[in-house]
Amino acid sequence: MARQDSLQGSLPLLVLKILARQGPLHGYGLTAQIECMSEEVLRVEEGSLYPALHRMEEERWIAAAWVTTPNKRRACLYEITEDGRKQLDQEEARWRAVTAAVGHILQHA
Amino acid sequence: MARGDCRGRPHSAARLKLMSWRSRLTNVFDTERLDRDLEDEQLFHVEARAEALVERGVPPEEAIRQARRRFGNLLKLRESSHETKLHPRLECVLQDARFGLRMLRKNPMVTAAAVLSLALTIGAFTAAFSLIDALFLRPFPVADPDSLVYLSSSGPDEGTFRGGPSNISFSLPMLDRLREASRAEIELFGIGYGGPYQNAVFDGGRGKEEVVRPQWISGAGFGILGIRPALGRLLTGVDDTLGGDHAAVLSHAYWMRRFGGNPAVIGQKLTLSVRGVDSGRFQIVGVAPKGFSGIEPGQPTDLWFPLPSRNPAQWEARPGSVFFHIRGRLKKGVTTEQARNALQVAFIKYRHEWVSRILRPGTPLQRVDEFVNARLELHPGSEVPANLRTKFERPFWILALIAGLVLLLACSNVANLLVARAAAREREMALRISIGAGRGRLIQQMLIESGLLACAGCVLGLAFAAATAPAIVRLLAPSDFPAYLDLHVDWRVLGFVALIGLLTTLLFGLAPAFRASAVSPIRALQAGGDRHSVRIGILRPLLAAQVSFCFAVLFIAGLLLLSFFKLTTLDLGFSKDRVVICTLSAANPRDEKTPESVMRLLERTRRLPGIRAASLSGRGLAVTSYLTPQLPIRIPGREERSGQSGYMLVSPGFFETMQIGLMAGREFVPADAERRATVSVIVNHAFASRYFADEDPLGKKFLRIDPCGWAPQQIVAVARDARYNTVRDAASPMAFSPYLRAAGATLEVRAAGDPSPLLSTLKDNIEHIDPSIRVTSVSLQSTRIDDSLLQERLLALLAGFFAVVAVVLAAMGLYGVLNYSVAQRTKEIGIRIALGAHQLVVARLVVADMLVLTVIGVAIGIAGGLALARYVATFLFEVRPSDFFSVALPLACLLAASGLAAIPAAVRAVRVDPIVALRHE
Repeated sequence: MARQDSLQGSLPLLVLKILARQGPLHGYGLTAQIECMSEEVLRVEEGSLYPALHRMEEERWIAAAWVTTPNKRRACLYEITEDGRKQLDQEEARWRAVTAAVGHILQHA
Repeated sequence: MARGDCRGRPHSAARLKLMSWRSRLTNVFDTERLDRDLEDEQLFHVEARAEALVERGVPPEEAIRQARRRFGNLLKLRESSHETKLHPRLECVLQDARFGLRMLRKNPMVTAAAVLSLALTIGAFTAAFSLIDALFLRPFPVADPDSLVYLSSSGPDEGTFRGGPSNISFSLPMLDRLREASRAEIELFGIGYGGPYQNAVFDGGRGKEEVVRPQWISGAGFGILGIRPALGRLLTGVDDTLGGDHAAVLSHAYWMRRFGGNPAVIGQKLTLSVRGVDSGRFQIVGVAPKGFSGIEPGQPTDLWFPLPSRNPAQWEARPGSVFFHIRGRLKKGVTTEQARNALQVAFIKYRHEWVSRILRPGTPLQRVDEFVNARLELHPGSEVPANLRTKFERPFWILALIAGLVLLLACSNVANLLVARAAAREREMALRISIGAGRGRLIQQMLIESGLLACAGCVLGLAFAAATAPAIVRLLAPSDFPAYLDLHVDWRVLGFVALIGLLTTLLFGLAPAFRASAVSPIRALQAGGDRHSVRIGILRPLLAAQVSFCFAVLFIAGLLLLSFFKLTTLDLGFSKDRVVICTLSAANPRDEKTPESVMRLLERTRRLPGIRAASLSGRGLAVTSYLTPQLPIRIPGREERSGQSGYMLVSPGFFETMQIGLMAGREFVPADAERRATVSVIVNHAFASRYFADEDPLGKKFLRIDPCGWAPQQIVAVARDARYNTVRDAASPMAFSPYLRAAGATLEVRAAGDPSPLLSTLKDNIEHIDPSIRVTSVSLQSTRIDDSLLQERLLALLAGFFAVVAVVLAAMGLYGVLNYSVAQRTKEIGIRIALGAHQLVVARLVVADMLVLTVIGVAIGIAGGLALARYVATFLFEVRPSDFFSVALPLACLLAASGLAAIPAAVRAVRVDPIVALRHE
């Protein structure tokens, strides 16, 4: 798929924020949330979601737990950790700084 | 969104780190579960999205297809996640290991041969190491070992006035004197070397005599060493005073073995007898801590007694008796030199006093000079005195050396096998390279396979070592006393085995690994799987190495075996067969009647059935723990001929019983034993040639030192030379005197027929004849001599075993290589035969190549063997490494084995059918 990465590298940030606000979710749930809340502007590529999730799991920003849904299916829920919350604050601050700077240049260049 | 019941309890950072690491490790071993989880997660996502699409009105199959397509390459994604979630390197190694196991199973014969030869040799090497470790390397559990020292002096000692450059034996009065003079600098204590086994009777043992290994130590010794008791108390300075029952301390191992760890042992009493003489009553006061069994290397101890308690009668009679070592601990801040100076002064002072008080007249002035000007030295306590090391440690190092050589042999053997097998896997290697495996990965794969072999060899070898090391210890013991050694597999032995495993893996694994991975994929895949494409080139040096190791082992083993053979077939000068030795102990040695009753006993023993002859002597022959005293003698009128002679006390009938020929004169008669002015003596041939070379010694007189001065002696016979003490010592001048001290006599009995029944009946018979005389031990003279050759026997036995193993391994290796060579050159041989080559030419073709290598190997082996032979020089007897037989024997052995190994290959070469060979592309 040659689509551009609409998320611009903000996927970890979004995942952390959503998990912090909404509690544990599985991968599809995160996808649905992002697409829903952004009115389908942002589209999550599964090819980048799960590698990102697993990397974040190794960085110990999120923790994974397997549960069985009422439909008797296995689902892996991700939950944000303390380290993850700290990382979230950092990322959020960074994002805001970057976007503010970009916006500033666009306005005044 | 379905939510499970995740309880969100925040984990601490450290715990998460550990969990992450652990989960990655687990994932390595459970990749199935990991893959399943990843797959499930993907599946769930796909189904959830499909459901969402169905809700929007998309038909179900279309929904699923769309959902899948959105995901992309499921497999690739799973792969990348897979890598993140575990340790990829470790997974690599595990994969290689599993694969390696499969490959090894595919070739059971090769694998079994490799593992067996490795197991045998690693086991032998480990056994040698564990023995050396238990005896010599294991550190003693003493406090602060660096400040411990031991003393030595130069020149003659006070006891026998013999001596060399470094004597470590001192006397009790000397110890007391040194102690007094150096209280500020050093704390000294005496410790008797663990000696021959002695008999003890425990009060609770119902009168049964048991054999124990005692050691005598000054009371202050344990305190100075910093040892704490495991039970009760240890000896203290108070225990040094004579009188009453003395204290005794058990060693931990002996306590467990003999008393089963029973704490009620404290307070039990025992009677000790040293060489048949009652040496006192003792009461057990404590048990030493676990792991401590004395500080003399190679001689574990069962019981400790206070030093002065050893034969108190002896102290009064001969205060100059020396038999123990002095050790000490430097006080804080004192240097070795300071302590030495303080001690030297007292040392010389005491020696001057000794000369004026105790020295026998007639001692050569030069020796007296050396004596009073001797120098005291202090050595670090961790050093082993050189003479002890040679006696006890050397044999084990020699064994370790031989075992190491055989291990190297096995390694080169296995390398051979692996290289040959690598050829068959060229296609596999080529395939791996062509799909992207680096050379390093291939080498890793091969090394892991070698590692698996080495692992199996180590595990089996460890089991083998655990079984054989105790057996070797048992072989080491004299026949009447089982040896105990604290052998257990501890982390040192395990560490050693692991190290050896690693080294051997590298040794035999690197060459095949490099060879196997140096494959050109195109060539290999094109060639269509020629199984024998490995050139013989790399196998050559391996073969030469094998031959040289084998020869070196055969050479050394041959030397030891030849020496042992010479020792056992030596003419001892007396007849050792059919002689039974009994050590006697009289109940009242000081009683005047005792010498009479002992002679009466001799008379009546002679009349017992089945006995051809009997006699008495002081200690008997071939008692290695006792050196016959050397007494100064003088020839009146020929003072320049003065010197020394050994002295033995024997009864009439001695020479007949032991079948020592008399060259001139007569045996002793009972009349000789009566106290007279001039004592009748019998001298040996060495004595006669030394002191009466150009005249007939019969009837001649000479003077001998005596507590009262010079005692006249008259020669009544000349006996053939014999080996009196050890088998190795050639005869020196010896005189035989007819007086017997009754304190401890030895009865020699020659049986008319088989002596074995006498072993059981003699003791009862003698005690029946005279109940006041006790028999403390009964053994065969031949056993006594065998016991004195224990070390040589052990060395010869084990060296022989290793030699056999070495020859088998070398033959196997040679056979393998030759076989391989023939298989490789089948085509060539086929052509030659088709062109009319004679059978012999073909055979020679195959064998000639190897012959050159064998010759090279032998040359290296000879050089190596001669160099190593230095280390075994002390154990050789009338055998020199440069003797003809020393080289010829191993050479013949090796050539025979090579010949046998070569025959099947040559036969196979000759039988090649040219048509079949040429057709087989």
